[in-house]
Amino acid sequence: MIHVRHLAKHYADLKRGKIVALGGVSFDAMPGQVYGLLGPNGAGKTTVLRILSTILRPSGGTASVNGYEVLTQASHVRHQIGFVSTNTAVYDRMTAWEMVEYFGRLYGLEGEFLRSRMEEIFDRLQMNEIRDMLGAKMSTGMKQKVSIARAIVHDPPVLIFDEATSGLDVLVARALLESIAELRDQGKCVIFSTHIMREVEKLCDRIAIMHRGHILAEGTLGELCETHAQPDLEELFFHLIQEHDHRHAVIPTGLRSFAD
Amino acid sequence: MNWRNVELILAREVRDQLRDRRTLFMIAILPMVLYPLLGMSFFQVTQFLREHPVRILVVDPPPPGELPPLIDGERFSAALFSPGDDRSAELLRVTTQKAPNDTSRAADSWARQQMLDGGFDVVVSFPAEFALRTKAAAEPLRQESGQPSPELDVSVYPNLARDSSRTAHRRVTDVLLRWRDELGRQNLESRGLPITAAKPFKIATHDVAEKSQHRAAAWSKILPLVLLLWALTGAFYPAIDLCAGEKERGTLETLLSSPAERLEIVWGKLLTVMLFSMATAVLNLSSLALTGTLVLSQLPNLGPPPTLAFLWLLVALVPMSALFSALCLALAVLAKSTKEGQYYLMPLVLVTMPLVVLPMSPGVELNFGNSLIPVTGVVLLLRSLLEGEYLAVLPYVPLVVAVTVICALMAIRWATNQFNSESVLFRESERLDVNLWLRHLVRDRGPTPSFAEAMFCGFLILLVKFFMSFGMRTPRSFSDFVNLVAITQLIVIALPALLMAVFFTSRPALTLLIKRPPFGTPMAAALLAFAFHPTANMLQAVVQWVYPLDDQVAKTISQLVFEPDSIWVLLLVIAVLPAVCEELAFRGFILSGLRHMGHKWTAILVSSLFFGATHALFQQSIVASLVGAILGYVAVQSGSIWPCILFHAIHNSLAVLVQRIIGDAADRPEWLRWIVRETPANGMLYHWPVVLASICVSAAILYWFHRQPYARTPEESLQEAIDHQSAHWMPG
Repeated sequence: MIHVRHLAKHYADLKRGKIVALGGVSFDAMPGQVYGLLGPNGAGKTTVLRILSTILRPSGGTASVNGYEVLTQASHVRHQIGFVSTNTAVYDRMTAWEMVEYFGRLYGLEGEFLRSRMEEIFDRLQMNEIRDMLGAKMSTGMKQKVSIARAIVHDPPVLIFDEATSGLDVLVARALLESIAELRDQGKCVIFSTHIMREVEKLCDRIAIMHRGHILAEGTLGELCETHAQPDLEELFFHLIQEHDHRHAVIPTGLRSFAD
Repeated sequence: MNWRNVELILAREVRDQLRDRRTLFMIAILPMVLYPLLGMSFFQVTQFLREHPVRILVVDPPPPGELPPLIDGERFSAALFSPGDDRSAELLRVTTQKAPNDTSRAADSWARQQMLDGGFDVVVSFPAEFALRTKAAAEPLRQESGQPSPELDVSVYPNLARDSSRTAHRRVTDVLLRWRDELGRQNLESRGLPITAAKPFKIATHDVAEKSQHRAAAWSKILPLVLLLWALTGAFYPAIDLCAGEKERGTLETLLSSPAERLEIVWGKLLTVMLFSMATAVLNLSSLALTGTLVLSQLPNLGPPPTLAFLWLLVALVPMSALFSALCLALAVLAKSTKEGQYYLMPLVLVTMPLVVLPMSPGVELNFGNSLIPVTGVVLLLRSLLEGEYLAVLPYVPLVVAVTVICALMAIRWATNQFNSESVLFRESERLDVNLWLRHLVRDRGPTPSFAEAMFCGFLILLVKFFMSFGMRTPRSFSDFVNLVAITQLIVIALPALLMAVFFTSRPALTLLIKRPPFGTPMAAALLAFAFHPTANMLQAVVQWVYPLDDQVAKTISQLVFEPDSIWVLLLVIAVLPAVCEELAFRGFILSGLRHMGHKWTAILVSSLFFGATHALFQQSIVASLVGAILGYVAVQSGSIWPCILFHAIHNSLAVLVQRIIGDAADRPEWLRWIVRETPANGMLYHWPVVLASICVSAAILYWFHRQPYARTPEESLQEAIDHQSAHWMPG
């Protein structure tokens, strides 16, 4: 479903030279699976997901979503995915219904089909109370529901959640995790990035631990703990990070060296 | 592009904006309220000005008796005003007073004190024994002297820095002139002569313009200004909200992850901004027209605007809104917040305002040159159309339309590029730390200047040159000219660049490109200068045809070329000195610093604009900018200043020599007539085949330079890597 090979992204900064956001990551995510990207801030999780959702262009490597290449078939890829992130806010001056309808129409849905699909989603996510509420007046939890509804209105096979629980209270976060589990049960391929280990342990079928633009380890939780001889995810995480930092003392990549 | 998506985005953005109270206020409520209020204020202010009486102090007025009456109590005599015009007499309150006995004080100082102490607006002082002296002045000329008595001075002391005093001055002068006429008439009658002996005729003006023409002329100055200002303002706020506002609220990424392509997003937003820009302009015009019809039509010569005017205004509004909207959109997407967006868009207003206001200057009319100026051409065209001069403007319509459409398309392309740039969409905030920057400037000097230092040097040269132009007089002789050029070149242009190279860089020689040039480049540069000369000569002639030189300026330039006896002194001043000084500054320090941008061509362009701007005349600056771009390219490709100095010296020498030697030769050989021809307006010009050959040979030499390997700056290498990274970079 999602195949990522040697995916790289670097930025040019005239003061700091080349900044490697992704140093060539590879992984596969399958339908009916929640694939977790776990890593500290700046690990490259958001960059991977922004590339998969075609917001950013990769500097190197390949990534395909449901058979479509993100670089060359971006338009097809966008029809295959639903993207929810902490940065994907809702419009203040649109109601919940208008916003979901707007995105549904952008995805090419029209008329009665769109209306019945929206009714179904509003029922499932219990959003009928906020149907005519403007985004500016919604709570964080309500906005997150609208974001999910917007992302699934076209029933995409792939869903991407980028730190979607960040900033949510416990109840809303739990409801969101339950929604993601439901989507997985419907056979969707879900990619879920977070830096909260408990969420990964609870939800993800496979995990990739990322740090400084690289995947340090990838597999099921059981496989990873067994391979690295660690009792739980938290210990495994710190062990991998420390080992990586120790092995690859970070040498700043200067402008001159890049130019040379 | 999927237009359905554009339509969806447009509909959403329009609905979003209409739900914003600020937008509604700007486009709908403000226009409806603004003009009626302005109309009311105008009348109130006019009324206030009209009814405000002024106080006049008359010192030593002539006593009533033999002379015609001047003052009647506290007013000027009613006989001096039109019958029944009591109002005008009422507005001049007169106080009379004897002249001071103390004559040591200056008269104007005494008058100023009287105005301060007594609250007078104007003081009028009659000379001593005015009545007697006027009588003497009216005596017939005596045979022996043949000279009339000298004219008497009636001194009027206004304070022209004050509005009320200016008004009083105007009114009292009118009264005094009428009284003088009356006095003259009385003198003539006493000699049995009619008034027509002194005033054999009067000038009767009969305006042939119809009332509607006056009306059109008045509105043609107001309506285009209102239209364009509101089209810009109407684009300004929605653009900020649709770009910077979306970034700030976090909805931009939501939209970018949708199936809409970037181009569709740009068009959706652009059409929204255009719609609001046009709506704002139309509503303002409508409100102005309504106010004009109801209120201003009571004023003479300013009835309601002509109906046809609105058709022309609407036609012009579409491309202008497109231009302003695309510019606003491209700038607004740079900003991370609405506050930052306002900082970016203010310069746009400051640049546009002079272009809109320029046509209001007296004497600026639609011609070939003005029709090529963006915005200004449209305003002038509209003005002419509103005045009904359809046939006169017809030749300029294609030019104005072409310039406006090209500008609008370029602006739209820029906006689209901005939306495709990740560095623009996901730009991080920057923080300015002055201490850190100052420490960095002193301690961490780079081998070549930074971009900011290069820009600073460029603006410093321009500013010093600007202020110096006020301090130094216009050269009247060749020695004056030599002094001016020497000071400008050595102190204003070369010195800042050399000092900054020494103090702000660790390798001044590298900065100023003082190194041995690659083999063949000096020869190629010299050949290029010779080859390019006919093209430059023709371009200069074309520029002067479009924007003609002032006759006096042209004459002065011509004199400077022909005056000095020694051709070598002339070449030293006009060719060698500028070649060395300007090259060190513009191709040395400034271009070296600008290349830190990472874009060779942008650096060359900016340095050439600085170079062009330092030339005193606008007509020179245009061709100088092009020559500067060629010199910049030679500097980059050769990596040395010497080929540039050689090119520059030969280029300037040829400009002088062609006019002086060939133009001066009385017995010009026949073969030369096949190459050059003399024109009354532009002096010596090359024939077109020579110019075409010049273009071809110049292009071939530039291509040779293009094939030369050149040293890239680290930033240029980095930029090239960025441009190719997505296609070629693979992790190891």
